[in-house]
Amino acid sequence: MSPDMMVPWFKNLPLWVTFVPLLGVLALLLVPKEKRRVFELGALGITLFDFFLSVPLWFQYDRGSAAVQWVTDLSWIPALGVRFSVGMDGISLVLFLLTTFIGVIAVWCSFTAIEERHKEYYIWLLVMQTTMLGVFICQDMFLFYLFWEIMLVPMYFLIAIWGGPQKLYAAIKLFLYTLSGSVLMLVAILAIYFLQKKVGMEPSFAISRFHEMAPYIAQQAPTYGILLALAFFVGFAIKVPMFPFHTWLPDAHVQAPTAGSVILAGILLKMGTYGFVRFLLPILPDATKALLPWFIALSLIGVVYGALVAMIQKDIKKLVAYSSVSHLGLCMLGIFALNPTGITGGIFQMINHGISTSGLFLIVGIVYERRHVRQIADFGGLSKRMPVYATVFMIMTMSSIGLPGLNGFIGEFAILQGAFQAFPWAAVVATSGIILGAAYMLWMYQRVMFGPLNEVNAKMPDLNARELAYFAPLVVAAFWIGLYPKPFMDILHKPVEKLVQQIDPKFFEAQRLDEAQKAAARTGQAGMAAPGAAAHGGH
Amino acid sequence: MSFAQGLLEALTKDLPLLYGPALLAVAATLMLWPGDRFVGRGNKKAWAFVAALVLLAAGALALTAPTDEGFNRMFRVDGLTKGFQALCVMGGLITIALSQPQLNALKEQTVEYYALILFSVCGMMLLVGATDLVSMYFSLELMALCIYVLVAYLRHQERSVEAGLKYFLLGAFSSGILLYGISLLFAAAGGVTTNLAELNGRLALVSANGSLLVYAGVLMVLVGFAFKVAAVPFHMWSPDAYEGAPTPITAFMSMAPKAAALGAFLRVFGTGFQGIASDWMLPLAYIAGASMVLGNVAALRQQSLKRLLAYSSIAHVGYMLLGVMSGDAQAGAQAIWLYMLTYLLMQSGAFAILIYLQGKGEGERIDDFRGLGRRQPVLAFAMMVFLLSLAGIPPLVGFFSKFILFKLAIEQGHVALTVLALLTSAVAAYYYLNVVAVMYFKEAPETERAPMGSLATLVVTVSCALILVGTFFGFRLMDWMGRIVLG
Repeated sequence: MSPDMMVPWFKNLPLWVTFVPLLGVLALLLVPKEKRRVFELGALGITLFDFFLSVPLWFQYDRGSAAVQWVTDLSWIPALGVRFSVGMDGISLVLFLLTTFIGVIAVWCSFTAIEERHKEYYIWLLVMQTTMLGVFICQDMFLFYLFWEIMLVPMYFLIAIWGGPQKLYAAIKLFLYTLSGSVLMLVAILAIYFLQKKVGMEPSFAISRFHEMAPYIAQQAPTYGILLALAFFVGFAIKVPMFPFHTWLPDAHVQAPTAGSVILAGILLKMGTYGFVRFLLPILPDATKALLPWFIALSLIGVVYGALVAMIQKDIKKLVAYSSVSHLGLCMLGIFALNPTGITGGIFQMINHGISTSGLFLIVGIVYERRHVRQIADFGGLSKRMPVYATVFMIMTMSSIGLPGLNGFIGEFAILQGAFQAFPWAAVVATSGIILGAAYMLWMYQRVMFGPLNEVNAKMPDLNARELAYFAPLVVAAFWIGLYPKPFMDILHKPVEKLVQQIDPKFFEAQRLDEAQKAAARTGQAGMAAPGAAAHGGH
Repeated sequence: MSFAQGLLEALTKDLPLLYGPALLAVAATLMLWPGDRFVGRGNKKAWAFVAALVLLAAGALALTAPTDEGFNRMFRVDGLTKGFQALCVMGGLITIALSQPQLNALKEQTVEYYALILFSVCGMMLLVGATDLVSMYFSLELMALCIYVLVAYLRHQERSVEAGLKYFLLGAFSSGILLYGISLLFAAAGGVTTNLAELNGRLALVSANGSLLVYAGVLMVLVGFAFKVAAVPFHMWSPDAYEGAPTPITAFMSMAPKAAALGAFLRVFGTGFQGIASDWMLPLAYIAGASMVLGNVAALRQQSLKRLLAYSSIAHVGYMLLGVMSGDAQAGAQAIWLYMLTYLLMQSGAFAILIYLQGKGEGERIDDFRGLGRRQPVLAFAMMVFLLSLAGIPPLVGFFSKFILFKLAIEQGHVALTVLALLTSAVAAYYYLNVVAVMYFKEAPETERAPMGSLATLVVTVSCALILVGTFFGFRLMDWMGRIVLG
């Protein structure tokens, strides 16, 4: 069913889903702060409701079109060309759903981990949820920048109040890093805005208009495009984070409470990669191509460096944090392959990383909550005491290292395939990163779960029902994507195709030509026709 | 007879332009005498009420004044005049509201206190409408002289007197430079006019011959103005004056005189010296850049919130100078007006909270904010809103006005300076957030909760609400901003 046939409020469903958490906040504000249970269950109820509210989007989405759907476009600040414009395409949709999904888990895993200031905590968590969802639905640069920046405030508080011993340092580092990156991005946004005036258009902040500006930017001096691309690159690369902008990440992850890490890894980092896909590539394709060797190099350094640093970590959480640097480097590699396979792989990697790394942070959270330590050396032999935990841990580890049958494999495979088409040598280097990834994850698993059981850990209880309940959806999702990724592929197919067309208008043409030639050669050799090879070459 | 008649006619014709400031001058004089005979000199409440009423009336008169030029083209009412006059009146009103808890410590002299505020607002209202270097100079002095006295108002406190003296000496010195610059320009333009519009045409012609006289004159005027708005390197007085002055006067100084001086700055440099822009553009760019960098960097090290706000206001002035540099003076005036309006809201809120804490006997040190988030969550939340808005974090309205200002600067081609402004505003986020961190993450012993004055509560509530929703009413702000028309 296409969204156009829906009843009116259904057409605004993304908007509702985005603002339901904020409405929930208004309700929770009225509750006195001593009522801890109300906040826990209330926040859980709100995020669950929000998740179920977002599920119909999955079914409503018209997979046959690359257009932005569920468009709501209202006048806001006409003098600036700013409109309150929201809508989603397939790429936004999968990340939007990931956000509502991870949101529930982030609330649920906090019930016992958060010992103080419950009211503030759940309120910030819900505000965070709205701002993150907002980033994925907005279709206006001004609105995007607004959500992008607001997001920092709740995250700052989540880390700075409920974090570890170095929480203030970590929180301010996260804030300042991201802020410095995004102000540069703001300059680039304004520069493109004024370029519209220069080429005789009524300036507007609509994202679609920014996409239309690509050919005009290409007509300017090459340095112009390169500077803009660098400004966008720094803004997004800090968020991803790509090497060498990653130094805030280990601090933030290690100090953040479990839910903070889950949101950080699960969604916040995806903002950066999403920014690349949504803005840098389609708006500045030529400059991106000019800078591509550098971008690829940084992605590869991230993959290998992240993996090597993860290997020597003594703190489990820090290990997982550095594994994020490695995994997102891989994700960026796929995106910078600039072909449909690579970009689809990159987006899959975003989702997969959201599932598996969130899962791993939850795993760390479980033992941390029980023992209040996180060093690998403090554990060992836990599998004897905690068999269920060991199983979940195993699945998440396998999902993270990309075992076939689990979600990680699909993304990594597509990325490598896409990267190999574009830059074979890069794919080779990235593979080494994946092997290292398997090494440090399994080594960590072995040291924590096997070996002699430490006396102190002998009384550690296994997962309880609540913990099992929030792990279950992650495990299901990992298997679902791993075994049957087609529904995701279908959603991503058209938008990715459109994106590749935007980056390289001749891409599919060239591919078709190439395949037709091959087919011709084959017919020449074997003397039999290969009908249809040219027709569906683009897929 | 005919001369007297002519004078009277001219006066009656032009007087409507000046109803607002004239009311202030007359009312303030009457308050000093014979007003103090009827109402006790020390009747704080009554005098505050009277002063607020007079200000409101003056504001209403100023807003309804006809758009025209008068007094031998020395004074002009246009969108710019009205807009900035409104800001000055608002600044005055907020100061009166914030003075309530503070003045309880002062036994006498309350009439003079309010009269001085009214006189200085009168000077400001004249200043923003002045279209002649002479009328501009004397209104600037009227404003400044009252503020020197107000800064030194706590005459039993050494630091207040010291601040007043320092401010006065440096201020007098800078006025001298300003006056010297004016005389040089007067001479360069042929010694026939001090009217800005006429000067503009004449100076542009002189400048073609590369006259050193014009260059020196315009630089001196620039220095004089840079001193009044406290831009680097002429900012030395401001941290000391801010710290030493009674806190409501600190708030006043960071709002009203700044708005007035920037309004005059715009009029003088935007329209008056537009023809010789090449002479002053580069020095002004350096002043703006240096203010952004030094203001923000120096604020990082401050222990006292008053000094922190003083240094940060230097940085904010640096941002606003981007608007003065705009080749499109009209758009520059609009952006600065909007920035000043939002800045006024944030400053008034932050100072209201600072004054409240001082009234409880806690100093103005940042450490005194420890644990405020726990002790008084609502107040801490409001303070957080003000600080984040000052830092320019969306969706607070401080972001919106920064956005408009920086957008204009990029449009005018000042890209490097805008990048500097944006990066330094990221630095600013650090020290603003530091205060937030102290409020929320540092523990402090429970102290008694003193009630906040009703007027201060009103200021905090209103400005907090406006800052929170401001951006969503961006279309309305743009609409108001569009009315700031340079004649």
